[in-house]
Amino acid sequence: MKPNARIASILPPLLPLLVTMGVFEIAVRSGWVPSYLIPAPTEVFRSLIDDRVELATAAWTTLSSALVGLLLSFSAGTLFAIALSTSDLARRAFYPYAVFFQTVPIIAIAPLLVIWFGFGQPTVIASAAIVSVFPIIASTLLGLKSTEPALVDLFALYSATTRQILYMLKIPFALPQIFSGLRIASGLAVVGAIVGEFIGGGGLGSIVDSARTQQRIDRVFAAVLISALLGVVLVGAVNFVSALALGSWHTSERKTS
Amino acid sequence: MNSDLHPGQRKSGAAVVCEGIARAFTGTGLVLDHITFQIQPGEFVALLGPSGSGKSSLLRLTAGLDRADEGRLAIDAGQEAVSRGFVFQEPTLIPWRNVLRNTTLPLELQGWNIDRARTRAEEELRRVRLADFAARYPHELSGGMKMRTSVARALITRPNLLLLDEPFAALDEPTRHALQQQLREIWAALGMTVLFVTHSISEAVFLADRVIVLSPRPARILLDSAINLPPARAAPLRTSLNYIQEMSHISAAVPNPEANA
Amino acid sequence: MTFVILIVLIFSPVIAGAGESAKAVKLQFALNWKAEPEFGGFYAAKLSGAFQTKNLDVEITEGGAGTPVVQMVANSKVRFGIAAADEVVISQARGTDVVALFAVYQINPQGIMAHPERGFKSIGDVFNTRGTLAIQSGSPHTLFLQSQFRGYKVKLVPYAGGIATFLTDPNYSQQCFVTSEPLIARKKGKPARSFLIADAGFRPYGTVMIARRQFVERNQKQTRDLIDAVREGWIEYLRSPEAANNLMAKLNPAMDGDTMKEAAEVQKPFILASGASPQELGKMSVERWTELVDQLYGIKLIKTKPAADKLFRIF
Repeated sequence: MKPNARIASILPPLLPLLVTMGVFEIAVRSGWVPSYLIPAPTEVFRSLIDDRVELATAAWTTLSSALVGLLLSFSAGTLFAIALSTSDLARRAFYPYAVFFQTVPIIAIAPLLVIWFGFGQPTVIASAAIVSVFPIIASTLLGLKSTEPALVDLFALYSATTRQILYMLKIPFALPQIFSGLRIASGLAVVGAIVGEFIGGGGLGSIVDSARTQQRIDRVFAAVLISALLGVVLVGAVNFVSALALGSWHTSERKTS
Repeated sequence: MNSDLHPGQRKSGAAVVCEGIARAFTGTGLVLDHITFQIQPGEFVALLGPSGSGKSSLLRLTAGLDRADEGRLAIDAGQEAVSRGFVFQEPTLIPWRNVLRNTTLPLELQGWNIDRARTRAEEELRRVRLADFAARYPHELSGGMKMRTSVARALITRPNLLLLDEPFAALDEPTRHALQQQLREIWAALGMTVLFVTHSISEAVFLADRVIVLSPRPARILLDSAINLPPARAAPLRTSLNYIQEMSHISAAVPNPEANA
Repeated sequence: MTFVILIVLIFSPVIAGAGESAKAVKLQFALNWKAEPEFGGFYAAKLSGAFQTKNLDVEITEGGAGTPVVQMVANSKVRFGIAAADEVVISQARGTDVVALFAVYQINPQGIMAHPERGFKSIGDVFNTRGTLAIQSGSPHTLFLQSQFRGYKVKLVPYAGGIATFLTDPNYSQQCFVTSEPLIARKKGKPARSFLIADAGFRPYGTVMIARRQFVERNQKQTRDLIDAVREGWIEYLRSPEAANNLMAKLNPAMDGDTMKEAAEVQKPFILASGASPQELGKMSVERWTELVDQLYGIKLIKTKPAADKLFRIF
């Protein structure tokens, strides 16, 4: 991309951000908005720089917990969805309970998680997994259901076994949906990790907790910014894997069909 | 055209017997109203009817993908097991498999060794003149080429009954004409029973030895007639007097859609 | 004439009503936790009519984890609130002008509780022995203790409230109010050994009433009246807490009546030294506030030291 074109593509999202930050900076510095409500953006940046080592170490802890949690929820979620997809009865019996994972307020059960898994990363990983599992189950189920009916007929014509149908047809067809669910789940895994850290300790969650106690809102914002970045990193990773797995056929198929 | 005689090549087909076949669907009502006909081994039969006339349903029943509510549908291939090939309205190729692997699919499902399957697939692709495109992926192919792959896939198990559901309807006319001719040649070379569903009178007459005309829903047989045209069907036929006469004959039996509106 | 009488009759309720509402001043008072003996005197003041006789209509609202009382007071969302003494210092250091008016606890009941089987004799033992200690991360007392016992061996974990983990894990210690959680733990079969953080050197006033300085200066009489009524309420509560306890038990089902009664009894020496005059209730000294400012500066919670005498007012 030519330099001009690159600038032109960054400018639209960048401009509103700069303007907003400028407005807030002026508002807080002039005293119009009290600093305990919103910190001045320069204060947040100073926090980011002053505490960069602490934030970086904490970010790494949170990221690794979120990643492990995501891997757990991905394995368990896809297996569960595949099992449910093979039997209509099983799906009607068990799917409603999967919805429970979506609706249970994690902040309420986090203290229970500590009792079961102890303080530290095990609880954080469990929290990340619980919060991120439902989108994977839901989108995998959807993907497995949306196989082209004619191909299902084709496989039936040749008396394909359930295993053949799953591995050669349904799962590959479900991949776009599965990755879509994984994308959503990766952001949630970060959220779940941080909530888990409120109760279990460690990582960015404990920085937010301690900063909140001290009413250092600038530190809270700095930590929150970093955690948002973690979400972006995870989603980017999912996109990368998705592009590798799906290759060019998916988007091209979408275009021509 | 190309009528190589390979060992084990088919020259006989299954016989199909339909007696009083009825099928109804919830919401739509009765689709097939006690259909009765017989197809001899090796016949090329066209099932002609308007859209929604239930001809696709009848084809699916023959394919074993559905069960009739009433009546008897028997397919008999004599000494051999009944083996069906199906060409759908859409090519329905698997997007992440190339042309060769799409063609080998039925053999893979039947547990064939992949190298033997590949060899067989190359044969079929030569037959449909796609041998040079074996490594291409569906998204790189034209509509006509995708359909030819679908035909090669249907043929790879050497079916004694080949079923086609308006396969050329979405293609442009020159491609359609070319594929019709190729299909006829393939049938001439292999000799299996063919049941071809279409709503096009010209296509039915060009391809088949026998045309069965269905009424709109609930479908009954309006006409079951032989086509008096030479066995070799080529492009010049389309403008010949015989062809047009046969088309009029069939046309007369096809109900006017305005009359039923 | 009938017209005049009619008008008077029609408007008399308005006049009467206006007259009545002009008498009692509505004040909102935000607590920073649920209703417990820690706030008993305030509820006693309301029940005994102490507020009413001074024409004050005080509405007491409970709080919970994270209720931003200092912000609410600073924004004038409520007139009075309850905060920790260190919150007053930190807010002042950042330019928020709230002052302390009344301190419920002369001796801060914040403590650490541990299982007696561990054999701890002091907070130092807790910190220097392997185990788990749940303590509010970033809190002044936490930072103070961390700096007191550098190189501590205990594992610090987040404090989430309650005593659930304490009951199940023998190696688990946690922060507490010595007048509250240890009692509940004993009731549930796990008596605890508790230590005062004040004994380790950190002794801010506890459960402090705050208001905006601006409001206090402009409404001196009202504030004085309020503090007098609060003092009366605490005197009443120290004498006989039943009425207030009954009300608080209804408001906060998490604590039963017996526990409240016990806590109210246990907390007495923290509120008023035996032999001291009830008129001393709630009063504060500049020395204590100076010590707190120095300590908070030492653990880097504040970057500048506000003048200690500006942090509180005596009424």
